[in-house]
Amino acid sequence: MREVYVAGIGITSFTRLEYPLVEIAAYPGLMALRDSGLKKVDHIYVANMGGGRVNGQTGLASAVVDHLSLTPAGAETIENGPASGASAIKQGFMAVASGMHDVVMVIGAERMREVNQLEATDFVATLTHPLAEYIYGVTLPSLAGMFARLYMEKYGVTSRHLAMVAVKNHYNAMDNFYAHLHEEITLEGILDSPEASTNNPYVADPLRFYDMCPVSDGGACLILASVEVMKKINKPMIRLAGIGQATDTHAVHERKDPTDLLAVREAAKQSFAMAGVKPEDVDVAELHDAFTILEIAESEEVGFFKKGEGHIALEKGETKIGGKIPINPSGGLKAKGHPVGATGVGQAHEIVLQLRGEAKKRQVKNAKIGFTCNFGGFGNNVVCLTFIKEK
Amino acid sequence: MELNIYAYKCKRCGQIHYPYKTICKKCGENDHNEFDIVPLPKKGKLLTYTTLYNPPSDYEVPTLSLGIVELEGGHRITGQLNIKNPKIGMNVEGKIEVVRKEAYNKHLGMVFYQA
Repeated sequence: MREVYVAGIGITSFTRLEYPLVEIAAYPGLMALRDSGLKKVDHIYVANMGGGRVNGQTGLASAVVDHLSLTPAGAETIENGPASGASAIKQGFMAVASGMHDVVMVIGAERMREVNQLEATDFVATLTHPLAEYIYGVTLPSLAGMFARLYMEKYGVTSRHLAMVAVKNHYNAMDNFYAHLHEEITLEGILDSPEASTNNPYVADPLRFYDMCPVSDGGACLILASVEVMKKINKPMIRLAGIGQATDTHAVHERKDPTDLLAVREAAKQSFAMAGVKPEDVDVAELHDAFTILEIAESEEVGFFKKGEGHIALEKGETKIGGKIPINPSGGLKAKGHPVGATGVGQAHEIVLQLRGEAKKRQVKNAKIGFTCNFGGFGNNVVCLTFIKEK
Repeated sequence: MELNIYAYKCKRCGQIHYPYKTICKKCGENDHNEFDIVPLPKKGKLLTYTTLYNPPSDYEVPTLSLGIVELEGGHRITGQLNIKNPKIGMNVEGKIEVVRKEAYNKHLGMVFYQA
């Protein structure tokens, strides 16, 4: 296999965007071309989950390649639920690593705010089991609520810990221009004060409003290239060194221990092994905190902390910027936003910024190894990426 | 006729699946549809639960309670709850009722009550 590097990156704001899905995908592509200095690509992968259902736009990649005037380059749309983004990066990696292509553009794009919040939640809920879950009214927040209740009972995680994740990630997002929520919150405001139950009502008990990510529009792009291409452009050598992917049962109730995220554990293990690093070597990570409980659970499953100790590390401030292992310096899905198909590419965008040293106020000092976990379904399809900065 | 939720028992090794799978997860074998259907038990213990305060838009209710129940025999099922103060580990019993209505379609499923 050839080594694969990140030549260019681009992103839109994750927020409500008032322009078509095709442009949400094309704009970060344009930014990434400018960032890399490249004019042509061999192939485009576009990650998207809801174009056909939410926006009435199928064949998105074909539309995007033309919008960017990059025809006749090949183009494909990748749908893998909320893990579409990292899945598309994986396809891009394989295309360059195999020698089939030299320059590949990977875009993630989603426009969920075209419909109301209930329709958006229902659209994402279609990835649950149609007969064993969906017909009962199961949504992703309800799976997260049931997961959180069991996790809290078993490991002593409290609502305060969940709120601490939200406070941390909202704080980080304040310095991220592209984040959806620029709103500093406090434990007092969402938990302790008499107004807290109004500010922060239950959504899927025990999870509250501030335990949930927002519904976002947004796009992000990575251009992947071979070492020969990198020699011609003057860009930091950020190598995509490890990729891991694993699946789990479709219906959550079928898992032996419903608090285990086996697919996260397996995908992270593969990704670290391929990159030749250990979890403790990682300097900065973006984890899939669609719900605050998931940041705690994933930080344990990927190997940063022992099982059941993630919330203790959080209490100690180890996951803040400046801590032992900063998690979600971008604000995470919680505050940066969660345009489902774009999220995995957005996570990788943040890690590349951090490794390049271009993250400004939220920069993690001397970050050399970065890690992302993109969590699809309710943990039934997970893709983990490891990036290494080379000299 | 008593209504039931059915599970799928492998004719070769006896492994029970709910929901249905094309290939047995235990012995990895199956000529197509080589499963016996067996009714799932209705009594069990509540493993975990949640109350949704923003149920999907086709439900005309303010809140919707959902849970995972470990049935007698060890099989698990996701269902709706009709229980005032649910608690982890409590005994529950299921009834087959309408759990979702669409324009021309009614879906039956398991609704759990305190036993």
